[in-house]
Amino acid sequence: MGGSPERRGVVTSASYEARAYGVHSAMPMARAVRLCPNATVVPVPWEACARKSRDIKEVLERFTPAVEQASSDEFYVDLTGTEQLYSGEPLAATARRMREAVARETTLVVSIGGGTSKLVAKLAAGVAKPRAGTPADGVHVVAPGAELEFMRRFSLADIPFIGPKFQERLAKLGLHAVSDVLRYESETLIGWLGRREGEWLAERVRGIDATPVEPHREPKSISRDETFPQDLVEDDALATRLLALADRAAADLREAGLLARTITVKLRDADFTTRQASRTLADPVQSNRTVYEVARELLRRLRAARRVPARLLGVAVSQLVTPDARAQLSLLDEVRPLETERDRIISRVIDEVRERFGPDALGRARSHGSA
Amino acid sequence: MKFTITREQLQEGLGAVAAAIPAKTTLPVLANVLLEATKQGIRLSGTDLDIAVSTTVPAEVDAEGAVTLPAKKLVDIARELPAGPVRFAAAGEARVSIECGRSKFKLLGLPREEFPSFPAVKFDGAWKAAAGVVHKLVGHVAFAASTEESRPILNGVLWELRPDRMRMVATNGHRLAKMDVPAKGGSTADLIVPPKALEQIRRLFAAEDAIEVAKSDNHIGFRAGGTLVFSRLIEGPYPNYEQVIPRENDKAATVDKAAMAAALRRMSVVASDQTHRIRLAFAGGAVKFSVQTPDLGEAQDELPVTYEGEPLEIGFNAMYLLEILKYMPTDEVRLTFKAPERASTVEPVGWNDPASYMALVMPLRLVD
Repeated sequence: MGGSPERRGVVTSASYEARAYGVHSAMPMARAVRLCPNATVVPVPWEACARKSRDIKEVLERFTPAVEQASSDEFYVDLTGTEQLYSGEPLAATARRMREAVARETTLVVSIGGGTSKLVAKLAAGVAKPRAGTPADGVHVVAPGAELEFMRRFSLADIPFIGPKFQERLAKLGLHAVSDVLRYESETLIGWLGRREGEWLAERVRGIDATPVEPHREPKSISRDETFPQDLVEDDALATRLLALADRAAADLREAGLLARTITVKLRDADFTTRQASRTLADPVQSNRTVYEVARELLRRLRAARRVPARLLGVAVSQLVTPDARAQLSLLDEVRPLETERDRIISRVIDEVRERFGPDALGRARSHGSA
Repeated sequence: MKFTITREQLQEGLGAVAAAIPAKTTLPVLANVLLEATKQGIRLSGTDLDIAVSTTVPAEVDAEGAVTLPAKKLVDIARELPAGPVRFAAAGEARVSIECGRSKFKLLGLPREEFPSFPAVKFDGAWKAAAGVVHKLVGHVAFAASTEESRPILNGVLWELRPDRMRMVATNGHRLAKMDVPAKGGSTADLIVPPKALEQIRRLFAAEDAIEVAKSDNHIGFRAGGTLVFSRLIEGPYPNYEQVIPRENDKAATVDKAAMAAALRRMSVVASDQTHRIRLAFAGGAVKFSVQTPDLGEAQDELPVTYEGEPLEIGFNAMYLLEILKYMPTDEVRLTFKAPERASTVEPVGWNDPASYMALVMPLRLVD
């Protein structure tokens, strides 16, 4: 099983042998170890994963420039306009060539789903995955016009963005499977769920999804979070972890060449209650000090509302803008700006030192337990 | 409760309050309209807790009483009814029968006790203003208020009431609009009003109406005819905007508003999506516009102007300038400047009106 060896956090992946014991990915590690006590838990080799992920993307980009990375191991590929290039070759044949190229050059086996939308392609990729007792061979293409028939086999929980809460609401209306929803006109669904969600659901169950494949998606937010080896009880201990997370989020922000206007702190209590607080600033920031100071205040607020042991802490920055957003001069400068030129210089120097001497070359005294 | 009302009167009353009723709410009674049958007619009220609107329309009342009914359903029914008198009658607790010709409905409501009470604003000693004047102030100033949550006070419009004038000011910290109109009588007050409430004033009161304006500790009330609007006030103090209004701008340009707006729109096509930065160079009898955006391209344009002062190069967010020009009431406008990093002003030229109006905009830095 892959995951944190301290047996906290969740299972990243499990071998088929471990799966036989009921272990699956995203299961809390403690539970997985109880189910399968003889399992070997190995840490996730993040760097190697990132390298392989880049390698796969490079292979795919030789087939079309429109490759969007959805996660470390999921990609969307838009082949619209390549028909002439591949001399009218059936989509499934192109997919098989892609699959072979990836296997040859990265030694990794991938499953490929095809369809007229990202939604259908994603679900088809799941169907394509070779499993004992199925005819699946790694490629499954849903022909244009066959979407409705294809969708009928899925439960609503299989559709992305239909999470547990939405599932619960749908279940109350007697809707569990795609086929349950297909019995109703979209007007009926809009009456039950409101216009936005009703229309959305009516389209999704028919395999309609107009979201484009976006090769260069600008990040909408940058976040760093940490599940603690043991629940943290003290505010001080949490603040120390927050400092490290805020430093990393701010460094990621600067590496992306961006500034953020919104800062969010996420806290998961020992009983899995997840709470968050955020603040939007008048002027965008990117220095370690400002991100931490705003985050510290948010954490204080969250802890004041409920002070119980915490298992996870996260910092996210969003409403990202490029540095020239700072060129706008302000009329009302009676308030001292939150982030000063000095903050920016200090952050830049930290980045330069870490760039030259490694990520641990310079850190906060407090993060090393000597403050 | 029992009354008869024309379909038109019912629609008029519902039309006035429906805009204040939230589409989605966690408190079910807020989706309802409060109907009160009194000797004066039917009073209809709706609120989203920030703003409350109430209006009275004539009706033949046989028995007084009150109930709340789902607003959207009532609006839909009123729209679909045949022409003719509409008879409302209580039919059990929080249940109302509605009849018109051969059409009959029974609607389930909620008891009036659940409907929130309106803010206690007393209208004795209220300020009096012509609705047309308030419309003019709101119509030229409210656009400049901030829509961002970072400084809630800037989300409001400052309304200064003085014995001899009324003034409205709004700013988002980058640009500002200010208008004064002469007024008579009344005491002094500074009110910070949410633009949403001012929008209701524009919608509900005709220009020739005389409005009464009154305040309590946290609320403002408007009244004209049988219609009342209440809104929460934003707590002050408002930033000291007087000190940012430049008094030493020694450079001035007079330009044709439409020509300037057209040039700005052309330039903004190639400007950065984030900053909308364009460069203006004033010298002699011309202003040169230019824009340069990395990874996109560049553009130039030029307009004749009447310009007094040393040559000047200055950067602006084109959107801010365009927006200000849109609200300028004259064909020609006058811009004044001091330096590339100081506030500029924009004013109408030759405006034949007792009001005085100006806008302020801070430049964008040109060097990075």
